[in-house]
Amino acid sequence: MEKGIFNNFYTYLTGAFAGRQQAARLTEPGWLTEKREAAFALFAEKGIPSRKSEEWRFTNLEKFLSHEFKFQQEVIPERSGLALEELEASRIVIVNGRFAADLSDPIPDGMTFLDTKAALADARFAEKLGTVADFPDNPMLALNTAFFSEFSVLHIEAKAVVEKPLHIEHIYTSHASAAFIAYRTLVVAEKLSEATLIETFHSEGGAPVFVDFVSEQQVDEGAVFHSHMINNVGENVCFVQHREVCQFRNSVLNNSNISLGDAGMIRNDLNFRLKESGTETNLLGAYLVTGEQHVDNHTLVDHQMPHCNSSELYKGILHDKSRAVFNGKVFVRQDAQKTNAFQQNNNLLLSNQATVNSKPQLEIFADDVKCSHGSTVGQMNKDALFYLKARGIGEETAGRLLMQAFVFDILSRIEIPELRDFTEELLHKKLHTENLVIA
Amino acid sequence: MLNIHNLQTSVEGKEILKGINLQVNAGEIHAIMGPNGSGKSTLASVLAGKESYEVTGGEVLFDGKDLLDMAPEDRAREGLFLAFQYPVEIPGVSNINFLKTAIGEIRAYKGLDPLSSKDFLKLLKDKQELVELKASLVNRSLNEGFSGGEKKRNEILQLAMLEPKLAILDETDSGLDIDALRIVANGVNKLRSENNAFVVITHYQRLLDYIVPDFVHILYDGRIIKSGTKELAFELEEKGYDWVKDELSAQASPSL
Ligand SMILES: Nc1ncnc2c1ncn2[C@@H]1O[C@H](COP(=O)(O)OP(=O)(O)O)[C@@H](O)[C@H]1O
Ligand SMILES: [Mg+2]
Repeated sequence: MEKGIFNNFYTYLTGAFAGRQQAARLTEPGWLTEKREAAFALFAEKGIPSRKSEEWRFTNLEKFLSHEFKFQQEVIPERSGLALEELEASRIVIVNGRFAADLSDPIPDGMTFLDTKAALADARFAEKLGTVADFPDNPMLALNTAFFSEFSVLHIEAKAVVEKPLHIEHIYTSHASAAFIAYRTLVVAEKLSEATLIETFHSEGGAPVFVDFVSEQQVDEGAVFHSHMINNVGENVCFVQHREVCQFRNSVLNNSNISLGDAGMIRNDLNFRLKESGTETNLLGAYLVTGEQHVDNHTLVDHQMPHCNSSELYKGILHDKSRAVFNGKVFVRQDAQKTNAFQQNNNLLLSNQATVNSKPQLEIFADDVKCSHGSTVGQMNKDALFYLKARGIGEETAGRLLMQAFVFDILSRIEIPELRDFTEELLHKKLHTENLVIA
Repeated sequence: MLNIHNLQTSVEGKEILKGINLQVNAGEIHAIMGPNGSGKSTLASVLAGKESYEVTGGEVLFDGKDLLDMAPEDRAREGLFLAFQYPVEIPGVSNINFLKTAIGEIRAYKGLDPLSSKDFLKLLKDKQELVELKASLVNRSLNEGFSGGEKKRNEILQLAMLEPKLAILDETDSGLDIDALRIVANGVNKLRSENNAFVVITHYQRLLDYIVPDFVHILYDGRIIKSGTKELAFELEEKGYDWVKDELSAQASPSL
């Protein structure tokens, strides 16, 4: 046994595994049962990662996973359509990890969406499960592989240019007692396709929920994939996501990662593997945390081949006793000459009881590259604040205007107007600046 | 309207204003001139309420109220306005949203209803023409990427929008070409009335050809060492600051 967490939840999971496997054998293909077996062995040995593990130094899962989380029966959500009503999009609703066909719209031409049964029955996708994010040493991934209950697939056909965004609404329903939800998705954007995926995450309140979400994504040659994540879960939710994205020659991947809600805890591991040359990767992130919220973004941009561009900008504001972690790894491997990699993380730390751990981590093994990175933790700009006050704007309003401007720098880069408006509304709600907006 | 009595301030332990006395009445324009570093901006900032300046003595009454006791925003709401020597750039806060917020807060303080969007935009359009500021600048982020002259004109736009009782212009003329200077001066002249007052801080007599002061004061080393009418500005321009310095040292050591 090593440096993991072996708490009651761990004990519950290890106790539940055999029974689940037995049931799964009746419905799942043999290769998956085997995969689960192997993953479970690793998880059982390593436990839930603790702060002794370098990747979890600043996020103490022991604190968040102290409840008696259990697998729960299926529940119907009180309502769907929780966000982005104005947006012209095809909506997919995923309830506690499971695709809810009756709440979802038809899929646009050029795309297919498969639920667990269909996905596991389709060799093209089934065999990819666990191969994009293939890290046999990662206990959190192993936890998901061993225990995930649902697996859905978004497939974008080669050369399909799908104008209408696909909006996946992830809803975690209210449960009477602490719930554990583990599920995964796979996205395959084939050659020369172009599509937009917006994912919003919501919860209904009630007992604590631990969400363990894994998304594997493959962006093939020449494909353009826009992806947005708006995490709007409530304070009862501990949300852990591992997203592994592989990009191939000349593909473009844009991702925005917006946390302006009330989540109790969010941990994102977002890995972008630039496997072939000529790719472009643009990452945006914004977080605003209050109370005792905790948001941890670990990103990795892995330049493996020459002539790839990546750019990353994350900005966040911390109040009260909140905590934010930013760990931005950029690897530039020996073959990755002519890499352009930019990374920046700026924080406004507005309470002396809040904590931010911002760590850019560049590892460069090629010599002909352009890389820059920066990280700042600052207070409100005093001169700006005074300027606003000198015009009759009160301290509080002035502060809000500056905070709004700080985050707006990110939101204004979101190219879908309805989505940008939605994120701005979230920001205003959180800052109580609804009345400040000019019509 | 404004009564400054023996005002003394220091910054980081360094004494900067060493006893300022000044009275400004409604309807008056005062010019304050003085060499670099004499304390002109310090005086302006202290009046506006900048926290980093410590008041070590004296008092300031604004319409009979203790000005130094008020928060900066309340000073503005009571009708004090400082046109900054170096206006701050605030990315992400639009000029228009900023103005609307400022007017909203000032009106709320005075117990007035908020201005409707329509009335606000009408007012803005009128005042914008007064300072000849392009509409595209008004819609941009506050001062961000503005030229020096545009920033100064934007200060006067704010002045025109907020209609303060007392406006302090801190070297608003510095860095302006003659056209911009005329626009700024013209704006001020249109805004002046029996009920408001201006304190114009400047380095150069030039501005005073356009904004004609009732009184001129010379600030030197933290003190007002000479006051007079607009002729004093001409004399200063002609003889230079050394003239005042010499006169001052002659007074200080009469035995020589
Ligand atoms: N924030 C500050 N910290 C330290 N010294 C300052 C500060 N502001 C002004 N001073 C000093 O106070 C003196 C007066 O400055 P200032 O009021 O800007 O003069 P003026 O506007 O007349 O050129 C100068 O010696 C300047 O260096
Ligand atoms: Mg000055």
